[in-house]
Amino acid sequence: MTGITRRHLLSVSAASTAAFAMPRFASAQSTERPAVTVAVQRISNSNTLEMLTEQSNVGTRIYTSYAETLIGNNWIGDMSLQPQLATSWKRVDDQTVDVDLREGVKFHNGDVMTAEDVAFSYGPDRMWGGGTVEVPENVKVVARQALPAFERIEVLGPHKIRLHNSSIDPVLEGRLSGSIGMIVSKRAFMEAKSWMDWARRPITTGPYAITEYKPDSVLTLSAFDDHWEGRPPLRQVRFVETPETASRINLLRSGGADFACDIPPDQIATVEADKRFKVVGGPINNTRYTVFNKSHPVLANPLVRQALTHSVDRNLIVESLWSGRTEVPRGLQWSFYGDFYIADHENPAYDPDKARALLRKAGYNGEPIPYRVLNDYYTAQTATAQINTENWRAVGLNIKLQMVENWGQISEGGPETRGIHDWSAAASLPDPYVQMSGSWGPLGSPWKSNQWRNEEFGKLSQELGSSTDKTRRIAVWRRMLQIIEIEDPAYVVLHRNASFTAKRADIKWTPAQSFVMDFRRHNWSA
Amino acid sequence: MLQYLLSRLLRAAVSIVMVVTFVFVVLRMSGDPATVIMGADAPPEAIDAFRKAWGLDQPLWVQYFAFFEAVFSGELGRSMRDGRDVVAVVLERVPSTLALTIPAFFVNIAVGIPAGVYAALHRNSLIDRCVMVMAVTGFAVPSFILAMLLVLIFSVTLGWLPSAGQDSWRNAILPIATMGFGGAALLARFTRSAMLEVLGQSYIRTASAKGLPWSAVVWRHALQNAAIPTITIIGFMLGGLVAGAVVVESVFSWPGVGRLLVVSVANRDLAVVQAVVLMIAMTMVAANMVVDVLYGLVDPRMQGQARAARR
Repeated sequence: MTGITRRHLLSVSAASTAAFAMPRFASAQSTERPAVTVAVQRISNSNTLEMLTEQSNVGTRIYTSYAETLIGNNWIGDMSLQPQLATSWKRVDDQTVDVDLREGVKFHNGDVMTAEDVAFSYGPDRMWGGGTVEVPENVKVVARQALPAFERIEVLGPHKIRLHNSSIDPVLEGRLSGSIGMIVSKRAFMEAKSWMDWARRPITTGPYAITEYKPDSVLTLSAFDDHWEGRPPLRQVRFVETPETASRINLLRSGGADFACDIPPDQIATVEADKRFKVVGGPINNTRYTVFNKSHPVLANPLVRQALTHSVDRNLIVESLWSGRTEVPRGLQWSFYGDFYIADHENPAYDPDKARALLRKAGYNGEPIPYRVLNDYYTAQTATAQINTENWRAVGLNIKLQMVENWGQISEGGPETRGIHDWSAAASLPDPYVQMSGSWGPLGSPWKSNQWRNEEFGKLSQELGSSTDKTRRIAVWRRMLQIIEIEDPAYVVLHRNASFTAKRADIKWTPAQSFVMDFRRHNWSA
Repeated sequence: MLQYLLSRLLRAAVSIVMVVTFVFVVLRMSGDPATVIMGADAPPEAIDAFRKAWGLDQPLWVQYFAFFEAVFSGELGRSMRDGRDVVAVVLERVPSTLALTIPAFFVNIAVGIPAGVYAALHRNSLIDRCVMVMAVTGFAVPSFILAMLLVLIFSVTLGWLPSAGQDSWRNAILPIATMGFGGAALLARFTRSAMLEVLGQSYIRTASAKGLPWSAVVWRHALQNAAIPTITIIGFMLGGLVAGAVVVESVFSWPGVGRLLVVSVANRDLAVVQAVVLMIAMTMVAANMVVDVLYGLVDPRMQGQARAARR
């Protein structure tokens, strides 16, 4: 007797069949591809990997490795929209877009992506509620903010869908490139115990699949060899959470990591002193600015806010704190806006005399203005705030610098107690509507919380979002910038944010114009 | 003895309630968790929805009683960040922390007590000076600096040990060394002082005068009497075992209870912070009780004092 029974044979046969049917993840035996370790400050703020709950810069860094949207971005190029899970798209009318889906795309669980999965990804169970799954309230709100007039997706065929919007939206295609539009496996989602269980381990289509996630510790992604672009260049990508800057640099220098993210400008020379390492990066599509609260009795007067904008020395900040490695943008706009980039728009000039004159005209008598600052939430934030405070005090403004611990403390107290605080703004679409109207128009949080409102700006914001006349939209955009930055300032732009990544010098890898880390084939060689 | 234990238990329960109440109030008074977790860009409706979902829209006293009601029914709540049961969230970090703190605890005792005793027995000798220099250094140098120094030497320069992470047992060596050095220095300092005080007592002279060998004098008479302050310090160390080491875990990216506490406080993940604090408070109180009992065993006069105080 051999001991082999029919049951044994059947189980071996079933296992063999399953092995062929399962998606192919890279293994050390089957490939010589390298594995890389990336030391990051945080992996995820929310401890989830679903972008509907992880709306953050740190989430932006990781999600493009494991998830994909219908339309992608050229992150390391001109930021233009690129086919991703959609091969093409076409406007049917002002409110409708037809999208052709890529064929043969597989999810990390081996399922083939269909139009049903796409419709599900934008459906009630994942985003809106009212389906069979209980969706967290904050998820619904995030979805509605990102897709304010989304109506439904109609399945036209196995690989064709039609997106219906309830109103005119000139940037509808761009919205499909947003991170919350990552396409997910319907089957995997429905098999999860709850929405949050799903969010911790989503099943998506990216070039790397999630194989291990320990919150606050490590995220391991393995090459997904069935990816539609072909075998990814790396066997494994590990994001290791290393909160301390010094620890990240030491991890790189000791060979424990190949990349170390979020390197402060003052550490670049230290890292590059060792020829084995190089620091890459620079300005990204994120702008640092300081915002004003019109509900504060002193700041209600636009002349005081104008004085604030004229006493900010941007060049001093860029040269002294960033070693000149970033730049001052022309207002809250980016050159990839294309025709919408207002090239002759000027920031309020650094002119202390003009600021003093404006304060005299405003009748300002030294009333205190609170300025709440987080301790280096943004790179060099505290030092920047100190420079600004001293410049403001130099023109006669009585600025009360208040160090706070978290965003909750920034917005604490009645509106009249909040004066100035720091913020940042990012853009990824070649159109100002989503960024500016989303942040500062009637749908933005400053408007809703009565921090800053301007009736003309509100009307123009709505026109920018509903008009399809490009010439008119450009004129509207120009006027909006004039109102919000010059006449009735809601903020003062400081500089473009910059992101620096230290890496092994022998790795050929280009950083993106955002926090995204791109580890696809086109961006890797070593 | 039973009455002694009961009084300690009652005091322990009051301590735990006070600690948890303090943390409950302070956390809610120092930043709205909804804004912290949802982020600066979150629209007001999302913030309101979050507050409602987690009961943060209720008056503080309602939240407070709801919390204690839940605690007494064994329900500590869910993490506001990822919706997981907080007991599971906290317990999954405990083994990582104990993997550092237990070996460090033994290093503390194995190095600190003999060093302190030896230094006391050789007072003003070169070895005594060396032990004290090391003890003061270990006590004075912040663990952050010491950790960085060890990383620079053993990871960056020599390349012998990993500098961060939790990939293998080798990752634990530097954090244990960091914690062990500081703790051993503390114990050495206290043990030396306690021993010196005891060695100056008349009963030590009497024991020596009786003709007892010096080793017997030290073992039977000096060490036992010097144990009280040392046990106090060991008790604190024992209580801190599950609390982890906030700084060391952060520097070495070690995903233990200390890191969880830092991240949860920063994110105002109230249920997790409360669960961690409750666990730490209970461990501390339990360790203190053990120390109290040990006092009674090591020095029977303690029980007598307690009885006398009650009369």
